[in-house]
Order: sequence, then structure tokens, then C-alpha cells
Amino acid sequence: MKRLRGWWLLVALLIALPLLFPGNYYVTVVGASALLHAILAVGLNLLMGYAGQISLGHAAFFGLGAYSSAILTTRYGVNPWLALGAGLVLAGGVAYLIARPVLRLKGHYLAMATLGFGIIVHILLVQTGGLTGGPDGIGGIPTLSLFGWAIDSDARWYGVLAATLLILVLGALNLMDSRSGRALGAIHGAEVAAGMMGIDTAAAKTAVFVLAALTAGLAGSLFAHQQAFVSPDSFNFFVSIELVTMVVLGGIASTWGAILGAVILTFLPELLVVFEDYEVLIFGAILMLIMIFLPQGIVGGLADLWARRQGAAAPTDPPKAGPAPRGLAPASDPVSQDAA
Amino acid sequence: MLLEASGLTKSFGGVTAIADLDFQVPAGLVYAVIGPNGAGKTTLFNLLSGIYRPDEGRLRFAGEDLGGRQPYQIARLGLARTFQNLQIFFNLSVLENVMVGAHARGCQGMVAALLRTPAMRREERQIRAWAWEALDFCGLGELAARPASALPYGALKRLEVARALAAQPRLLLMDEPAAGLNDTETLAMRDLIGRLRDQGITVLLVEHHMGLVMRVSDRILVLDYGSRLAEGTPAEIRANPQVIAAYLGGEVHYAVE
Repeated sequence: MKRLRGWWLLVALLIALPLLFPGNYYVTVVGASALLHAILAVGLNLLMGYAGQISLGHAAFFGLGAYSSAILTTRYGVNPWLALGAGLVLAGGVAYLIARPVLRLKGHYLAMATLGFGIIVHILLVQTGGLTGGPDGIGGIPTLSLFGWAIDSDARWYGVLAATLLILVLGALNLMDSRSGRALGAIHGAEVAAGMMGIDTAAAKTAVFVLAALTAGLAGSLFAHQQAFVSPDSFNFFVSIELVTMVVLGGIASTWGAILGAVILTFLPELLVVFEDYEVLIFGAILMLIMIFLPQGIVGGLADLWARRQGAAAPTDPPKAGPAPRGLAPASDPVSQDAA
Repeated sequence: MLLEASGLTKSFGGVTAIADLDFQVPAGLVYAVIGPNGAGKTTLFNLLSGIYRPDEGRLRFAGEDLGGRQPYQIARLGLARTFQNLQIFFNLSVLENVMVGAHARGCQGMVAALLRTPAMRREERQIRAWAWEALDFCGLGELAARPASALPYGALKRLEVARALAAQPRLLLMDEPAAGLNDTETLAMRDLIGRLRDQGITVLLVEHHMGLVMRVSDRILVLDYGSRLAEGTPAEIRANPQVIAAYLGGEVHYAVE
């Protein structure tokens, strides 16, 4: 099936890697971390890439999921799966409550509002020490088990995270190729026109915001059980920025781009360790170079290069309407031309 | 009457864009709204499509009061529109743009999409078929797979129409469909508007190209400073001394051809 060719490739890759390199640190430890980041980035890309709504507070939902699992399992002895479900309800519920007021905003204002939300959640995690353990966090989180099979090794966590990512990617691909997914694309492209096509834009944006929060909440619960320890620093403002960077770097509006961005941003710091003091400097320089030479991200940029090569063989009419707004550029306001 | 406006008024910070306007659009006609720049034509369209709220007055469409309805709710009543300055979804393909146009004819939601249920796939095939119908009607079939951003301007104007048509509207508001088109493209647009009417779609047209308006319209409303200056058939409008004085002026000979 052509539509899912990329997905099957990913399935093959994720199965092949641990078989080819059994017990390899870069596969089961760094790789598992990349998978977790990919889950977060693919979820955020639903909101940013598909619907064109930026969020600088995505780590907050990641944290809500993680802390739900951590608090409920360690302090109240709740079954980890029930705790995971509670984390989903909390992340999704909070997203639903703030979606309507926040997503009325556009562009910079939306960025500010989500940034503020992320900071508030982080402060709550630090300040409500009685519940969250404050800056010290919570340790001793039990691991998950599946049908009596404890997920207690790096290799097993790799498997769980890989399966989660594959299911999520399948859902994301399905969504893109559907009435709801096109509605999100329409909101991204020209929101006023989307409304005139009968799309309830506020409801669609709320739905995708909740969906993105649910994936982050799920990632948070898995993260808490995998690490057996959570602290507020894993869910602060910089994590949100890192997630946005993954989505943009890989190529916004592409699920593959989000995965690639997550992989690059996870592995690059590991590989740059050899540069010691200059690690961060080189890391920043690489990000800058990618964005300068591939402003649509790696996947978008390569797709464009490919299209240009194809186009050289079969010339088409030059576009007069300007470049496609693939990024987060706000659509022009159709109302402003009105000669009042 | 398919569309009725009574006492419609809208002002922006002291400037009255639409002043106590009454008019009625019967079903099945091409009804043009003309007037000099700043006469309030686009304001009228934005009021009809729910982007603006009227300060006063009432709008009735297909027996329903449009007061307090959101644009998407008005669209679902069977009112579609095109935009003067293109509002194409440049991040989608041509076919996808038109499939978005058929959004309101479907009902499958996000969960069905994630799971790709049989019902969702059935509806998807139906939406695709509707979109193809609209594309072919507007002569865009060959461009369906292209990204919308790769289309020339003339094709984008027709894409706006195809997208609106895919909604199967009862009333189609066309905001300057011929603006920026060359003579050949304008003729093709005139032909397209005629065929829309033949399909039973009522067309409300705002257009500056007088040759097009006079040829294609059944009735014309002339606006001046947001008020009704005249209303009637093209022949009546051409002969109306007030219209000639206020608006057509030197253009009247051209309009008569």
C-alpha cells in the first residue's frame, strides 16, 4: 500500500536496529530517548505542522502526564496503568480547558500565551513540594508491566517506545489523509476561508490541541516509569523550545520531519561530546546552518530540491502567488482589503 | 426570496460602509452588485458570510435568520463564497483544496480519521468524487495533483470557484472573480458563471468588469456610499440617468458595447 510505504519502512528500521546492534548503547539507551522525543515531536507536529498553531508550552503536558504517574503510583499506590490513564485525562482535560481562550490568539500572542502556560505548570511542579517533591522530584517510580511481563530493561523500553511511536505515526498519517486533517491544513493555510468552507475552526483547533496534549501526556507517563524518577527540570521552558526546534528542524508539516528532528536533536549532543567545551557552540552552529540552507527544514528542503530536479525536466507555469506558507506565517487577512 | 436584506447597516469608526440597505435576491438568478470603490461591496459580502456582524438590520437566507451565526454555520446553510484577494490553502494540493470545499457535506470526525474506519473511507471516496466533479466543471481536472502554490493566477481564480462549488451551495458569493484576469480568462469566467446558473446555483456577483456584469447578470444592484442607488435589469441600469451620472460616467458607452 503506497500510502503507508514510509510507515512500513519505519517498522522495519525499528525492528532491524536492535537486532543488528544488540545491546548497543546508542540503540537501546540514546535510541529509546530519541523515540520518546519523536513521540513528543510527532504529537506537537499535529498542532504546529498540520494546523499551524505554535505552542511553546508543550513540555507542560509532558510533565502533567509524568507527574500524574509518579504521584499516583508512589504516594497512593495506584496501579500504573490506571495512573497512566489518569495522566491522559489530566493532560487532555487541561488542554481542553485552556484551548478555547488560548487558540483565539494568533502568531506571537499564541506563542506568548502557551509560553506562559508552560512556565506556570513548571512553577507549580517546583512550588507544590508536598505533592510533587519540589525541585528534588519524585523517585522510586515502579516500572510498568504488560501481561505480567515487566518492562524493566533498556531493550524492553526500546520496544514499548517503538511500538508507541509506530501507532502514533500511523494515526498521524491517517489523520493527514482525512476530512479532519484537511480541515487542519485549511486552518493553517487560510483560516477565514476555512470557516467559509463550513469548518468550525475553534472546535478543530481545540481537538488537535487536546490530541497533541494527549500524546505528550502519554509520553510523560512512559518517561516517568522508564526513568523511575521525575523532576521539574525535565519539563521546563527549554524542553518546550527543544520540541519546537525538533519539529521545525526536521521540516514542519511532515511527520517524518518531526521524527528526523527528534533523532538529530537527541543524537547530535551525544556525538558532539568529543568536542568537550565546544559542544554547545558546534551544536548551535549546526542548527543555524541547517535553518539557513534548508529553511523549510530537512525533509521540506530535500523535498523541494527533489521537486526542482523533477521540475527541470518538465517545466511548469511559475507560481505567481508567492511561496507556499509552509511555516508559521499567518495567512493574510481577507477582511482588510475591504474599502470601508 | 433566497436572500433578503432589510435595513442593513454597518459602520467602522464613524464611517458608514453600508447604510440602511434593502434588497432581495430571488433564487436562480445571477445578481450583480456594482458601485465605485468604497461603495461597500466587500463589506456587504463580509456581512452576508458572517465575517462581520451588522450594526442594525436583518439578513435572511433560505428562510433562516443569519443574525448571530458564525461563518461556518452560515456556510452549512448552503452559502459559499470566493475571495477577492485569493484565500487559497497554498499548503494543500489543488484536489485537497476542493475536497476542503466539500467539508460540510461530510460528517466523519477525528477519531474515525485516526482509526480509518470503513465509514470514514467510504465518505472519503465520496468527497473525492465530489471534488473531481467540481474540478472538472471548472476545467481544472488536469491540475488536480499539483500543489496549489504551483498554479498560475488565472487557475487560482477558478480554483476559488471550484472549492466553493464543491460545497454544493444554494447561493454563491463571487467577489471580483474577473479581477486580474486577461481577456481570454475573463471570457472563460463569464462562461463559468453562466454554467453555474444553469446548474441552479444562485450567484451574487461583485465585479468591476462592466462588460462581464452586463452580459452575465439578470439583475443589478448599484451601491453608492453604502446605499442603494438603483436596482434593475442590465438594460434598466444602463438607462438610469442617476447611475450614469454617479458611477458609469464615461464607461457607459463601453458598457453598452
